[in-house]
Order: sequence, then structure tokens, then C-alpha cells
Amino acid sequence: MFKFFAAFRKEWLILERDFAGLMLLFLMPMVMVIILSMVQEMGWSTMAKEPQMPVLFLNNDKDSLGNMMERGLVEAKIFALVQTIDSVPLSQELLRKLVRDGEYQIGIIIPENTSRRIRAKIQLLVNKTMTSLMMPGNKLFEGITNTDSVEIMVYFDPAVKKTFHNAFISAAREFSSKIESRMIFETFQEELRKMFPNFTMPVTEYQQSVQYSEIYPSGEVEEILPSTTQHNVPSWAIFAMFFIIVPLTSSIIKEREEGSLIRLMTIPVSYMTIFMAKVGVYLVVCIIQFILMVLAGIYLLPLFNMPPLDTGSNYLGIALMTVSASLAALGYGIMVGTIAKTHQQAAAFGAVSIVVLAALGGLWVPVYLMGNLMRHVATFSPLNWAHEGFIDLFLRGSTLQGILPEIGKLTIFFVITIIIAIVYRTLKPPIST
Amino acid sequence: MSEQVIIKISNLTKYYKRSDEPAIDHLSLDIQQNEIFGLLGPNGAGKTTTISILCGLFPPSEGDVIIDGLDLHSNREKIKHLIGIVPQEVALYPTLTGLENLQFFGNMYGLRGKELKDRINEYLVRFGLEKFARKKVISYSGGMKRRVNLIAGLLHKPKILFLDEPTVGIDVQSRNVILEFLHDLRDKGTTIIYTSHYMEEAEKLCSRVVIVDQGKLIAIGNPKLLVAENPEFKSLETMFLHLTGTGLRD
Repeated sequence: MFKFFAAFRKEWLILERDFAGLMLLFLMPMVMVIILSMVQEMGWSTMAKEPQMPVLFLNNDKDSLGNMMERGLVEAKIFALVQTIDSVPLSQELLRKLVRDGEYQIGIIIPENTSRRIRAKIQLLVNKTMTSLMMPGNKLFEGITNTDSVEIMVYFDPAVKKTFHNAFISAAREFSSKIESRMIFETFQEELRKMFPNFTMPVTEYQQSVQYSEIYPSGEVEEILPSTTQHNVPSWAIFAMFFIIVPLTSSIIKEREEGSLIRLMTIPVSYMTIFMAKVGVYLVVCIIQFILMVLAGIYLLPLFNMPPLDTGSNYLGIALMTVSASLAALGYGIMVGTIAKTHQQAAAFGAVSIVVLAALGGLWVPVYLMGNLMRHVATFSPLNWAHEGFIDLFLRGSTLQGILPEIGKLTIFFVITIIIAIVYRTLKPPIST
Repeated sequence: MSEQVIIKISNLTKYYKRSDEPAIDHLSLDIQQNEIFGLLGPNGAGKTTTISILCGLFPPSEGDVIIDGLDLHSNREKIKHLIGIVPQEVALYPTLTGLENLQFFGNMYGLRGKELKDRINEYLVRFGLEKFARKKVISYSGGMKRRVNLIAGLLHKPKILFLDEPTVGIDVQSRNVILEFLHDLRDKGTTIIYTSHYMEEAEKLCSRVVIVDQGKLIAIGNPKLLVAENPEFKSLETMFLHLTGTGLRD
């Protein structure tokens, strides 16, 4: 243990004296989380909060459907309706041209008389129904059909995001079916009023009977909304933890190149002691990094108009996840630093492999958006285990028991990588044989 | 001087990977306790390979080594306590001070407290480094780095000290201090195995030298006697050149 503390002190002094490097280790991830959260917040806002997606809207109907769809799309807060260009009202040709040229991504044309034609179709349907109900056997409407189809034209720029495409189509469908339902209801009301002038309708306006309640099964955290902060802070904190591979491998290779490792190999001290001292020092760095990221999430991000990070209340779980994720990152760094022959090899392989593991692990694109194969591959990335653990804690309000599988996998990964490093170094001394 | 053999090398052979030529070719020799033994040879002769094997850095392809009665193959950890090494490179941490480097390597040998402090101070004074102990090694001159490099291998007072070209690239003053110190160390009972390209230095310092080339033993004996026995050579250097040739080496 004495040798471990002596080696720990040496590592700490070396790290501490590289002030610029140390500051980069702490500040870069914070800068990264702020900038990336801001960038993603803009996209997120476009999707969820602000009416920022401009949509060309040509309402030639100027009746129920056109007016209601206009109101509905505005109220949806996802789209900003554009009806004039430089004070010139939109025309069908202009709308088509603007979308074709990519100046606007979505354009919708509600043709003239759309509401009237829908009403006519509904009127026929209601008349048929009422006749068969009130005068069974009457063949007044037999053989009369209305094949007039109502077509609303929606123009899409091929470059439009799939999410906006889907959001728009489903919103438009929802409004048109709402209007159709209302028209059917109103037409029936009208017909009944004609037949029974003294009859008062129990309801005057159609209310949707299906309502949606948003419920988060973890109960305790139902108020935590899945904001960019909640997703980004753990993602980038994990990424920064694993990116410690760059300074860690550099420290290992420098020790080898400067000849100190050769001297250490002739001294009665084990590789385990040497490696664990490095792990100890860099573990402290990872923990400080994580704390700074969390503090940035809680206090700094709100200064940039982003929601603050909510860590939940399972502090022991967060501490254990942080330590196990850090250990996995350090084990990987020790292994790469031991096997790599040069700084260039370690830096290039280390950095690229972390980016790949982060992408695979769902740090940038959620795993649930990946295809089946990639979803399966993601489960092999230690960054995914760490990410899942933190998401469980921050968003799903998981208990300690709930994150034990992730902690277990990360710890086993650490043990395996350290064993590989020790075996490799034992079999392959740092001088060519 | 005791005649007891402290290192016995028998038939030592080392092939590096992807090389058909042996770096050491069936080398056999005995090193006596308390002697300064010079391992001489041109570049690529196998000096550093021999020292690396004796220090347990990697195993030989063939042959046996007995150090202080212990078989190197099966007693590597025990032997680590007996030996000290001063590598060819300055094997120190440049951003640590000289004192911090020495404390660290002393701690790695299990030394601590007053014992370590006293030893460090003794050596710092001896090598004229006490004023620079708290300065970072990166700011030291080449000679100062070499002296700290030497102290780091001596702190645990090893029975056998391996020195791989300890005086390369340093000024005459630093070299003189180091060589004087090695004499004193030998007088106190340490066996020193030393490699160098400086023949004159080896002639003055070593009680015996071995000249190796292409991994093979070419000559062995007291340097003065070797020259005396071969009067056609005026010095160890001319003899060395005669034995190893004047062609350039890699």
C-alpha cells in the first residue's frame, strides 16, 4: 500500500504540473456540454416548443376546413404558417416553386370549396341514414353516390427532416378528421332539428372522448421532462470520462519512452501497483470532471435559457455509477496505452474508438432509433452501459438495484482490461525482444 | 578483493524476434564480487542486451545466469532487491524535481522516512546537487541529469550495480565525479558492471573487461594486462579496434 501511495503521489504531481492539460480536462467537457446542449436545444425547441418550422399555407377554401386547419396548425406550436411572401399573397404556382427551390420545406394547399364538397358528401350520407331510419323501405336515395374526392395537396422538400414530415402529416390528418367528425355531428343535429323543431340537443358541441394523460411509470420523477439537458449532461459526461484515454495513454507511453518504466521493471514493484496508482489519480480527475458537468447542468445551462439538470435523489446510485463508469474508462485507457507502441497510435486509436463506442452506445443518437442490428451492437459498448445507468437514475428514477447490472458490467470491463494490460506488459517488456 | 563469483553467465544466447542473427551468442563468463567489470563492444555488440537479461527485463533464448547464488530464471523478484540499474537513457520524470524523483524511486525500493531522507541528502551532497534538488529535472544540464539518474539506481545500496554508458554526453567534471564515486562504491563492497564506448575510461576504471562483438566474447581480462600481454597494441583502444575492426557499425 505504501508503494501505491508513493506512485499515486508521483502521478498526481506530474498531472498537477501540467496545468494547461488539467484545465483542458476539466473545462473542455463543460464547454462541450454547454455548446452541444445549446445546439440541440434549438433543434429540440423547433420540435417541441417554438413555432419555428415555416410552412407555406394557401387556404383557397376559406371555409370550415381551411380555417380550422389554419387555427389547428398554429395552435400546434410546431409550425409557423406563411401566407404571404413580401406582402404578396401566396399562389399555387409560387408555393410549388418555393418548395421546389428548397426555400421552404413544406407547403399545403387547401383547394377551393373543400369544405363545401365535404359537407355535400356528409349531407348525402346523413340523408341516406336518416331516411333508412325514419322511412324504412324508401328508395329515394338509392343509387345516388358522391364519388367526389377531396384532395389536400401537401408539398415537401425532399430534404425535409423525417420528423417534421411525419409531425406535419399526422397533425394535418388529425385536424381534417376532427373537422369531418364535427361536420357529421352538426349535419345530424341540423337534420334532427328540422324533424323535431322542439327537440333540444343534450350537447351542442362535439367533444373528443379520448384524452391522453402523460404518465411516467417511475412515479417519483413524473415531473422530470426529457429535456436536452437531461439527455446531454450524462451523455457528454460519459464521453469526457472515456476521453480521458488521451492523457492517460500519453502518460503511460511517456513513462515508457523516457525509460522510467524500464527502471521500474528492475525494482521490486508490481505492474498492478503502477497501473492502480494511475487509475487512482485519473479516477479523481474523472469524478471532478463529472461533478463539474453536473454543476454546469444545474447552474450554467439555465443561464443559457435551457432547463436545469435534475439528478433525482439517488445520490449513492449516482456516486457508484460515476465510479464504475470512470473505472471502465480508465481500464480501457490503461489497456490501450499499454498495447499502443507510439503516442500517435494511442491518440488516434483511442480517440476514434471512443467516438465509435459513443456513437454505438447511443450517446448521440438514442439506441431506440437504431435498427435491430445496431441496437444489438449497442449493448456491447461500455459507454452504452454507463449511459443507460445514468438515464435510469436521472430520468427513470431508478433504485440502486435497478442500476446494478450496469455497475456490474462496467466493473467487470475494468477488471478485464486491467488484466489484459498486466498480462500484455508481463509477456511483452517495454523494450524490443 | 574477494574472488567469489557473484554473477555466473553460462552459454547465454539471445535471438530477437524476426532476426536470424543472435544478439548474444553463447556467452559465458564469471563476474567476481567487488570488481568493476567493463562490458565493452561496438554498437550492436550485445552489451545492452546482456545487461537487460541480467536485470531480468527479458529472458534469454538459451543459457543460464546465476546471481549471488540465485538462478535468475526462478528468482527474478529476489534478485531485484540485489541489483540497481542506471539505464543508458535518463530514466527520470522531467516535470518532477530531482528530490521528488529520488523520493519516488526510493519509495519503490521500500525506503521511507529518515533513512531515505539521509541517503538522498548524502548522495545529493556527494554529487553537488543539493542546491538543485528542488528544481525540476527538465531544467537540469545533461551532467546533472546523469548524476540524478545514477543516484536513483543507488538509493537502496544494491549489491550489484549495472551501469549502461553512465558517462555518455557529459562534461569532464561530471564524468570525473561519477568515476571517483564508482571507485568508492567498489571499495565499499558493491560489484559494478559497466558498459562504455570510452576505452580510456574503462582502462582506468575497470579491474576486468570483456570485449564482445556480434554477441561473442572476443577478449577478457584486466585491461592493463591485456595490453601488456599484446605489446603490438599501445592501448586498450587500439586493441579494441584491432579485435572489432575499423568498419562503421549501425
